[in-house]
Amino acid sequence: MPTYKDMVQPVRASEAEMRKIHIEPVPDDQKCEKAIQYLDEIRKKYRSFVMAMESCVKCGACAENCHTYLGTKDPRNIPTNRAELIRKIYKRYFTLEGRWFGKLVGAEDISLDVIEEWYSYFYQCSQCRRCAMACPFGIDTCEVTFIGRQILHWLGIVPKLHMGVGAAMEKVGNHTGLPKPGIVDTLEFLSEEIMDEFGVEVNFPVDKPNSDILYIPSSADYLLNPYTLMGAGMYFTYIGANWTIPSTVSEAGNFGLLFDQYFTQRHNVTRLLDAAQNLGIKKIVWGECGHGWRAAKMYIPSLADRPVNWPITHIHDEVAYHIRTNQLKLDPNKVDHPTTLHDPCNYTRACDLQENLRTVIKACVADFREMYPNKERTFCCGGGSAILFDDPEMYQRRIQLSAKKAELVRATGVGKDGNGYLCAPCSICKAQLYPMVEEHELGVEVKGLIDLVGKALVWK
Amino acid sequence: MSWFILQVLPYITVTVFTLGILYRLGRWAGARIVHNITLAPFPQNNSQVVGIFATEVIFFRSLFKSDFALWVGAWVMHIALFSVIGGHLMGIYTLGKQFVYIGMSEGLSEAMSSLLGTTFGIVVFFALLYLLFRRMSIQKVKEVTVTSDYLILILLLSIVTAGDIMRLVPSLSMEYAPAKEYVTYLVMLQPIPATAEVLHNVIFVIHLLLVQLLLIIFPFSKLMHILGMFAERWIINRPYTEPAPGLPNVDVPAARAAGLGLPAEGGVE
Ligand code: HEM
Ligand code: SF4
Ligand code: SF4
Ligand code: SF4
Repeated sequence: MPTYKDMVQPVRASEAEMRKIHIEPVPDDQKCEKAIQYLDEIRKKYRSFVMAMESCVKCGACAENCHTYLGTKDPRNIPTNRAELIRKIYKRYFTLEGRWFGKLVGAEDISLDVIEEWYSYFYQCSQCRRCAMACPFGIDTCEVTFIGRQILHWLGIVPKLHMGVGAAMEKVGNHTGLPKPGIVDTLEFLSEEIMDEFGVEVNFPVDKPNSDILYIPSSADYLLNPYTLMGAGMYFTYIGANWTIPSTVSEAGNFGLLFDQYFTQRHNVTRLLDAAQNLGIKKIVWGECGHGWRAAKMYIPSLADRPVNWPITHIHDEVAYHIRTNQLKLDPNKVDHPTTLHDPCNYTRACDLQENLRTVIKACVADFREMYPNKERTFCCGGGSAILFDDPEMYQRRIQLSAKKAELVRATGVGKDGNGYLCAPCSICKAQLYPMVEEHELGVEVKGLIDLVGKALVWK
Repeated sequence: MSWFILQVLPYITVTVFTLGILYRLGRWAGARIVHNITLAPFPQNNSQVVGIFATEVIFFRSLFKSDFALWVGAWVMHIALFSVIGGHLMGIYTLGKQFVYIGMSEGLSEAMSSLLGTTFGIVVFFALLYLLFRRMSIQKVKEVTVTSDYLILILLLSIVTAGDIMRLVPSLSMEYAPAKEYVTYLVMLQPIPATAEVLHNVIFVIHLLLVQLLLIIFPFSKLMHILGMFAERWIINRPYTEPAPGLPNVDVPAARAAGLGLPAEGGVE
């Protein structure tokens, strides 16, 4: 099933599953009409979208700056062509030139085929914004795919993966569907691990009232990236913080950003603000999650439905601050592997975290090698916006989408002796790179950044 | 026909151009900047924002970094086109004596105006050819092109060709004086006398016809990128103030002194 005509597509949620995330799927014979209606409503709201529709000169400068085009050579993966999938409809229905001149200016009637194209190509975009950086005008194709995915969502077309995450978040407050007892158990287990491996006593307080700091980990850290959570726990213990993890929102990610910026995204924000209020905290600190940090830092101010009384910072902002002020004793020789840093695009293009990441990694790693292009010019790992699909066709695409990153990692030489570290401080980057470093045989192990802080801390 | 193009059409052109642009700007203004999506590195204040705008407008900085081959053609074309447009305004208004303001003699200024006009006219021509050739020969650019993208380039090339012919073929040339006279009639809403030179120079009439065609389609085409670029950057290049780092009630030296994390019998190392 996951192909339509010549296009690959992620497995989609069933109608019953769509109802779980509050959407009544639109029947096929009404999809076109509804799509136009939703597009009309939304174009009147988002200027970032209107500008992408109305001021592109089709110069093609964005093409070679998008890893999806580089990896697949599929012309519909050129950013402006991705946007064109919706622009041709926009022109046809909402501009004079499109109504009068049609094909000549690239306008086209809507059809189910077009909607299927949207589904395929908007879910190959990792919403990494590299095109916005490359474009002479700064046209952000990510804003177009946000809106494309939003319309698809309202039509009832969402990948099973994203639906599942949205539903789990609403049910238990995290993406992996881990209920509070599971969280507490896992954290106790992690405490024991830390004691065994590092010989220090770290407790992970859950829902502790009157805490000063609310730490929001990525739920993937409980099972997939335990060292990330361990590193965070060790750091907070080391500095003597009065901190807690909320069981009601034990999730740094927010898939709403990626497919539904209305209900789903706001729902996480509401949970967060409730938790902050109930636990009486003073500051919110975010864990390692790229899109989640972007959703928190850049979107909470405009999505919150009440005043936000708590400053929100990223754990690496705080670690970097403690390093710059010489408050942490770190021994970079404890991490003796050649290490390179994959800049998660959501941190470095959307959130301006690039310098702090470097402050932290240089303090924790003896043999650190930059990967170029880096910082805000970084290429996405190919998993961005959670296109981490496992069915064979999409998995093949993921390998292609990560090809550019693999080339850059190889160029750093850290994996030459097979003992390199690829530091990727974002849950989605990690989930993408764990299998991809194997597929591309890079000779590196994928690590989080706070993992390395945990390893490098000197306790006595 | 010449009479229609030179006497009637200009008023239609100006009306369509102005209303069209206002219509497009109105559409843009109607939509809002919903979320802060400024692009890193974040500018800290408005003067840094002005800096970004300036380097983008004057040097096409992003394009320089992302596609150098295109930058060469596009930047040269824009600078030359901008100079040509400026030359038209100043040259016709001052009859080629604009450089007197920077200390040249009248004769020298006229010669300078003529030389620069011809040079930039030729530069624009070749730069446009380069862009057209690029569009037709590079696979990825071909793949993003629709018919109207070619047509606009061809239209521009035709305008420039007509202009260059008047510059380069003495028998078809048009002086500043009759052009100024013509513009004055238009602005003063007076009829052009049937004997006016402009009505009898075919190339000039074609040049003006094509320019007006360009201005008429301008508000309904990608040429709006001139204003679009400012509107887009207004969204993605805005100042952002970071919250202060530092955690509440955290005293690291005290925590270290208390031996937090270390088991009673002493930890590792
Ligand atoms: C503000 C900064 C500007 C930037 C970054 C910019 C950039 C570009 C780019 C990248 C192209 C595409 C070239 C191609 O077709 O491959 C282009 C085309 C063009 N620009 Fe600009 N431009 C700017 C301002 C202007 C201004 C002020 C004018 C008018 C004087 C102008 C007039 C044109 C024209 C006539 C074209 C040719 C249209 C075409 O290629 O179809 N631009 N511009
Ligand atoms: S770089 Fe910008 S203007 Fe050029 S084709 Fe891409 S989106 Fe359009
Ligand atoms: S956001 Fe990233 S993946 Fe999407 S079109 Fe732009 S460069 Fe390509
Ligand atoms: S997965 Fe990582 S690299 Fe890719 S878009 Fe997200 S943050 Fe960027």
